[in-house]
Amino acid sequence: MPAPVRILTAVPICDGHDSAINTINLEFIRHGIEVVYLGFHRYAGDIVRAAIQEDVGAIGISSYNGGHIDFFAEVVRQLRRLGAGDIAVFGGGGGTITNDDARLMKRQGVDQIFFAGTSLTEMADYVRKQYGKARNKKGGKNWDLALARELTAIEDAFAKGSREKKIKKNQKSAIRNSKVIGFTGPGGAGKTTLIDELVLRFLQNEPKARIAILSHDPSVVGAGALLGDRATMINSQDDRVFMRSMATRGQAGGLSPATESCLARLTNDDFDYVIIETVGTGQEALPFRNELIDQTVLVMNPDYGARLQLQKIVMLEVADIVVVNKTDLDRSKAALSEIEHRLTQNKRQQKIVATVAKRHRDPGVDELYKLITRRGRDDRTSRRAAKPRARKGKVRRR
Amino acid sequence: MSKLGAVIESVEKHDKFVHEQVKRARTDEKFGREMTERWSKIKAEIPVAKAPTGLPLPRLALPEIDEAGEIARYLFGDGLPGEFPYLNGAYREMYLEPLQEIEIGSYGNTKSPNGAKGHAKRNGAQSNGAKPKVPPQEEPTRLFSGLMLAEDTNKRFHFLSAHQRSKRLSTAFDGPTLYGIDSDAQGVLGKVGEGGVAVDTVEDMVRLYDGFDVGAPNFSASMTISGPAPIIMAMYIAAAKRRFGASVVPNLRGTIQADIFKEVQAQNETIFPTEASLRFLCDMIEWTTEKMPRWYPVSISGYHIGEAGSTPVQQAAYTLSNGFAYAEMLAARGVPVDQFASRLSFFLDCGLDVEYIALSRVSRKIWAIGMRDVFGASPRGQMFKLHTQTSGRSLIAAEFKNNLTRTAAELMLAYMNGTNSCHSNSADEPFTTPSEEWIRLAAHGQAILLEESGIFKHTMNMLSGSPGMKAVERAVEKAILDEFREIESLGGVLAAVENRYQRSQIQNAAHRYEQQIYDGTRPIVGLTRYRDPNEEPPEIELARTPRKRQELQVNRLKKFKQKNAGKAEKALDKLAAAVESGENTFPALLEAAEVCSLGQITTRLQEIVGHFRPMV
Repeated sequence: MPAPVRILTAVPICDGHDSAINTINLEFIRHGIEVVYLGFHRYAGDIVRAAIQEDVGAIGISSYNGGHIDFFAEVVRQLRRLGAGDIAVFGGGGGTITNDDARLMKRQGVDQIFFAGTSLTEMADYVRKQYGKARNKKGGKNWDLALARELTAIEDAFAKGSREKKIKKNQKSAIRNSKVIGFTGPGGAGKTTLIDELVLRFLQNEPKARIAILSHDPSVVGAGALLGDRATMINSQDDRVFMRSMATRGQAGGLSPATESCLARLTNDDFDYVIIETVGTGQEALPFRNELIDQTVLVMNPDYGARLQLQKIVMLEVADIVVVNKTDLDRSKAALSEIEHRLTQNKRQQKIVATVAKRHRDPGVDELYKLITRRGRDDRTSRRAAKPRARKGKVRRR
Repeated sequence: MSKLGAVIESVEKHDKFVHEQVKRARTDEKFGREMTERWSKIKAEIPVAKAPTGLPLPRLALPEIDEAGEIARYLFGDGLPGEFPYLNGAYREMYLEPLQEIEIGSYGNTKSPNGAKGHAKRNGAQSNGAKPKVPPQEEPTRLFSGLMLAEDTNKRFHFLSAHQRSKRLSTAFDGPTLYGIDSDAQGVLGKVGEGGVAVDTVEDMVRLYDGFDVGAPNFSASMTISGPAPIIMAMYIAAAKRRFGASVVPNLRGTIQADIFKEVQAQNETIFPTEASLRFLCDMIEWTTEKMPRWYPVSISGYHIGEAGSTPVQQAAYTLSNGFAYAEMLAARGVPVDQFASRLSFFLDCGLDVEYIALSRVSRKIWAIGMRDVFGASPRGQMFKLHTQTSGRSLIAAEFKNNLTRTAAELMLAYMNGTNSCHSNSADEPFTTPSEEWIRLAAHGQAILLEESGIFKHTMNMLSGSPGMKAVERAVEKAILDEFREIESLGGVLAAVENRYQRSQIQNAAHRYEQQIYDGTRPIVGLTRYRDPNEEPPEIELARTPRKRQELQVNRLKKFKQKNAGKAEKALDKLAAAVESGENTFPALLEAAEVCSLGQITTRLQEIVGHFRPMV
């Protein structure tokens, strides 16, 4: 089976009109397309960085607030400058983009403009036909792009069932530069927000640190997927963060068939931290194989139900850190003490942290950051000694 | 239970109360007689005037009922215009031509009522000599405008209001301003002055309303901005003070949108985390309701919820519940209900769906009951004061001149619902910020309806209370209360917002709407029906901001920053201290607005409270 078409959609800077793009995203997914959605009010630079890291076939921009000629041209210009000119740019803006505008925009390198009245099916068919083509697999000199295209090759190999391109699993023994932290937990617990707040602290406190994030969203049965984590992860849209959104593509357990190979590829690179976020999981899920992960964080809500439910949550046994998020909600005190009690039964010195991740400068998230980095620092020092940083001194863009 | 739960109960209780009054009027003879006597008295006091054709018509039309139970149902359930629960209108008289002379005293009674005399006199004073008959109240027409730089919008304002006695200006801001970003920030240059006016500093604000007497009783300014609203409000006050001195502040009249809930639910123009935004908003409301008693510091808006694709019922339900949530927050801060309740105003969308026949009528009723029974507001604070705008998303690029008809039908619905002011969209809106040609036609549409036609100018209630309207009212009220219950079950408005309940409901409705267009359930003339296969794209005059104008804005902003560099830092530190201390931030914001740009203030605030995290 060929790999699904992947595209990225977004709304330009200073534009919050997301009604059209939300509807179009749903329609694309129904037609088997994987959509990385970056959200509204996005700078051209953020869109281009995300498109390169996600290695999409095309960028779809929905613009209703004017300034589209400049904005689309800027996206095309930046893509070309970074060696990713083969990522197509298309878009629409109802009646705000006139025929004359569209002609000019196409001359400037935009592939297609859809006008008001185009049916959603027509649009989806065009995207599938035009943007699913094989592209240059090499990333050239752009390091993000090269890594992104390698990850695509791994994902494609799994999709096609061919084995030769898959990176061998179990590379724990190979040289590893990164500390790997796995985040899991039920849907709605606030994993994405929590990770983004941690990223903010990494970026603020470690001026040279680089972070990779593998984020997962479920594929719709028999269809595409909406990969929407980037839209809420505002701090993670940064040149020091490499983020890749993966669809589960039919695999249960919160990860993709290609996750382990992609993770192995990332840990061999020059990242200080690699963060994996699973899809919201059920109670029995045990998504991570221990040898791949340095630290497992289980993120929970205070409202997991009755106390008995706790006994059934398998992840409570294996998690290194249990985060009880949203502790501003009712019942959080009771939840904390119940979970603490449950953890003492395990006798494993698991840590428990109470957070309100949505709150700016939340002290709970500070504490979690310390827990993660304290242990991490020792590990990393020893690794660093073993292998000089591969890309040390190489100038990163911007 | 949040106050919303109490509102649901109070509306149900009121409906039950009406039912009981009907029964009582039928069974309790004395009460029944009271009802019929009151009814006769009301009718006797209604003046009758002649239409230009000579046809005598009452100033207020009432249902032709004479049975005590039905009278009770009308008086308690609907209320006369201007009376609780305000179903028929917030005021006793709206849109009516002033009374020139009283032809026949009343419905069959020749005695001249007192109120009418006053009207005739007041108008007589205004129309001495040759008399174009002009209504004594403000025109309800309020046109939205904003383009390029402040001086360009200022010119448009003068053009639009040249022939209006009352200057009611409504301001649209460009994207960077709506997001609290300066025009000189990286990556926004192409957006400067697009879709609205660029405002970075108090100096822009001075230019924007130049030549208008902002403290005059016939002037009011409306500003459509929410995310950075408290900062823009502070700049408006600072600019007014620069031009007219500090004494102008209590006289300032107008509205600032400032509705954070609808931004998070639908329009996405918000820049701080929701809780911080709500705090800055309440700080501003507390300050302005005390010092600027004629200002409306929040316009609780369903328009953008409707435009984002909600159903009409969702629009009304979310708007009303957002309003009650604001009231709950202000009350919890200890602001007296009579200080803020009458300063809350509303803004709804009016499209072509059948619900719009009665949507605002029902909204007025629910608001009045909730504010009276749950918040203890006095009559002034019970009134749902409404600005309506015709639907932008109902306008289509294909055969766009049809948009004139769409807007005309929507205007008719808006005025049937007793809106207090109204904006009619230009037919060229699918393409661009309206050009002068089409904006003029849009304004004239309202004048034709209200001034030329006899539909609204002779008689209040001309189109109220038909069986169809009643049927829609009942269905809509029930559906709104059901939505309230859903929100309440999620823990109230704020909790529902954080669980993205309203957002996902709106998105689902929008998706369904699009599908209905293409499966034929919703015919669109000129697009899915009667499409002209030979249609050529229209010649439209586009409002685009030339690069040179954008650069001018950037350059003068840079000069402003240089000039104020030292003072700005101090003002920002003071603002930061106010934020950290938990005190009301608005006084510090007022000082900062004198010397800081919008972007400088936003950035400093975001350092302290963080950024808004979008919900997908």
